[in-house]
Amino acid sequence: MKRIVLLSVALISLVCASGAATRPRYGGTLRIEMQSAPATLELPPLNTPTDYWDMARVLALVGDNLVGIDVEAHPQPALALAWERDSVGRHWQFTLRHGAKFHDGSSASASAIAQILGGLHADWNVRASGDSLIVETEAPFPSLLAELALARNLIVTRNANGTPIGTGPFRVVDFQPGKSLKLAASEDCWAGRPFLDAIEIEFGKPLRDQATALELGRADVVEAAPQAASGQRLRSSSSLPIELMALVATPNSKAQDIHLRQALALAIDRKPMHSALLKGAGEPASALLPNWMTGYSAAFPTQVNAQHAKALLAESREPALTLGYDARDPQAQLIAERIALNAREAGITVQVSLSGPDDLRLERIAVPTPDPALALREIAKQVLLPPPVHQGNTVDDFYQAERALLDAGSVIPLFHLPVASAASSRVHGWAPTQLGAWKLADVWLEDAR
Amino acid sequence: MPGPSENPRYNRRIRHMLARASSGLRIQFPHSLFLTLFRLAALLFGALLLPAASFASNLGDAARQLADRIAAISGPGAVALEVANRSSLDEKSVHEVRSALQAQLRVQGVRTVAAEQAMGSVNVVLSESLRDYVWTAEVSIGSDAARVVLVSLPREHSTVSLAPTQPITLKKSFLFAQEQPILDATMLDMPGGSRLLILDAARVATYRQQGGRWELETALPILPTRAFPRDTRGRLLLRRDHLFDVYLPGIFCRSSASAPLRLDCSLSDDPWPLTPDDSGSSNVNNPPVRAFFAPARNFFTGALSPGIGRISTLPAFYSAAPLPRPNYKLWVFAAVDGSIHLVDGITDQSMRGGHTGSDLAAVHSNCGLGTQLLISESGEPEGDTLRAYEIPDRDSVPVSSPLEFDGPITALWPDAALTSAVAIVKRSDTGWYEANRITVSCAN
Repeated sequence: MKRIVLLSVALISLVCASGAATRPRYGGTLRIEMQSAPATLELPPLNTPTDYWDMARVLALVGDNLVGIDVEAHPQPALALAWERDSVGRHWQFTLRHGAKFHDGSSASASAIAQILGGLHADWNVRASGDSLIVETEAPFPSLLAELALARNLIVTRNANGTPIGTGPFRVVDFQPGKSLKLAASEDCWAGRPFLDAIEIEFGKPLRDQATALELGRADVVEAAPQAASGQRLRSSSSLPIELMALVATPNSKAQDIHLRQALALAIDRKPMHSALLKGAGEPASALLPNWMTGYSAAFPTQVNAQHAKALLAESREPALTLGYDARDPQAQLIAERIALNAREAGITVQVSLSGPDDLRLERIAVPTPDPALALREIAKQVLLPPPVHQGNTVDDFYQAERALLDAGSVIPLFHLPVASAASSRVHGWAPTQLGAWKLADVWLEDAR
Repeated sequence: MPGPSENPRYNRRIRHMLARASSGLRIQFPHSLFLTLFRLAALLFGALLLPAASFASNLGDAARQLADRIAAISGPGAVALEVANRSSLDEKSVHEVRSALQAQLRVQGVRTVAAEQAMGSVNVVLSESLRDYVWTAEVSIGSDAARVVLVSLPREHSTVSLAPTQPITLKKSFLFAQEQPILDATMLDMPGGSRLLILDAARVATYRQQGGRWELETALPILPTRAFPRDTRGRLLLRRDHLFDVYLPGIFCRSSASAPLRLDCSLSDDPWPLTPDDSGSSNVNNPPVRAFFAPARNFFTGALSPGIGRISTLPAFYSAAPLPRPNYKLWVFAAVDGSIHLVDGITDQSMRGGHTGSDLAAVHSNCGLGTQLLISESGEPEGDTLRAYEIPDRDSVPVSSPLEFDGPITALWPDAALTSAVAIVKRSDTGWYEANRITVSCAN
């Protein structure tokens, strides 16, 4: 009996003495809220960045890419362990990971992956060669690895309902379009079973509701406005600036007048908007690509020059433009109105409106990759610019290409903005990447048993 | 705290604190274990609260001391008092200090008034060093040169910190670092000198010292035929009849008996040894305890083979360590649910609701009771810490200061001789994994 007493005493003092430094625990359900309300589990276009990031995060739970990419644009192994290319980047051969399986139990073999990738890119020649995968493009494609790492190139099949079936850490259990998604851990995931048993996502939740749900313990992971994410109270995380906010001229509109557009660009005072309306999140921009990606944004100054703007407009008679914005964007209206105010000081009348044909639109565009060549191409496509032309892959090449796009094009960059999210204190291992990915397979819950 | 003439002793009871708790326990226990646990919890709770009250009283005393010294310079009259806080004292404490200061000044005949009505000024700054609160008062009366008086009192944590008197020091010495997660590391004596063995999920690498650096000598691949868990764990154990064994989730590897090194791996759900010394049949009466590791998880299932006395099943656990006792071994288990289990072969005592580190290891030393329990503790967000504990006759006591690391501890295993442990840390700044040898030395 004495021994029992001693054990009890020792137990109490040990339990009280130690702080928690626990290994990841298995089990539990992670509750997530998102703004978007997707009707399908398909990736939306880049110019609806909230929807794009939400779906990219969802699909990344279900599937894997052939390769990943890190923030410095270095390719990382995923379903492919290694790769080789010819000297120009037209012919590629991938060595695939053994043993990866889709959630339906079928093998993620070279032929299965070839079929999926071939279906996504009709202009590529994709085929299996034994255990390897061959990809050939019509023209040299040095950024092919970055392309393969994009969310749109996730290796997933679809069942009859369009539900994605991938090789990722979670499988889809139930999808209620626009409302909710339930995912369960994939026991046979090639990267190891995730720590969580399940994830439940509720869609269509405004940011304010998400913040409340997090505070009240009804949600574990939510999105956040970047300015809120910089506070200390929330356990929050901001990505690098991976969204471009810009004014985009509508084809065949008055905004195609190059002098008018240049004058407007010079009239916009970005700094007060950045500090007051965006609460310092991100950075003012006159370039398409963010500085963290290129390092040359100083070559695209953001200073106001009202005098030069007026000089450009010397021959214009009462220039006037209409400016539209996305009503779902909580900051867009204020920024649009501020732009109108700046424009008026330069002698341009800008009418902000939610309806009717616009000469300009205030848009956000997701920058989906850290690879500058691919990012420039994707942005150009979204804002209806011609494909960028660059001789090589040096910083100077990208600068020249971007300069040419901006000089000839019809877009006025305004800001590069981060995306932010927050997690409750019961979530451990919460380490979103600088590119905004959530990596929920490595997350575990404090109260999981 | 011991008196100046006494050498500090870690296992000596503080006379007027825990003695009553101990005697109360002895009388009450046989009637009810629950009651005993409750009393213990209450005592511990009281022990936590009492110092706070005592601290507030100390603040008041120090404030009164300072007021007396101020009054000795200023003499009776009216002064303008400013109190600035540049220490870690909270607002409430600062308010208490100011009130005590004003009250004691009044007792001394010094009134505090607005600057324009005052004959002089008193500027008090509440500051602090690492050890003490230091309060200064600059007293300026009329045209006299300003004079400064000060008082100090030990800071709150200093009064309870055992750091200066801890009898044991934990030391870490860096062994090796690499980008891939290190699961275990150990030194192996071989012809031509010692080798450092590093286990990761893909291989066992042997390194040899050359020119003060570890140079890769051989890399023995482990080709997993199944996916490893995300929090992969592994054990590298030296053996007598061959060089070493490797335990990974669902995989067992056995090395060759001599150079050239070879590694034969196979799927295996055999239990892992819980102690480095697994001499097997040489100790028939006290066979080494082994435990089954969950092949798709990061913990032991709780099934023991052989068991510890009558106990052969425990809840799933992360780590275990034996503490020698005169007639038995006391096993400490860090369970997956956060509880701690103490198993002596007859009983399995558990405690839930604590926040215990999941990695622990026992090491032998020439200090204290001769065996210390190293337990990882959270140091979020900067990094984890490691601390030595002992479980003497009835209390577990911390016997070392926390040893700090620059990131989370991802593995903690004792070495073959149980005289040191290897702690693997994922550095927060580089993301690399670092193997450190942890040794115990006597502070005195």
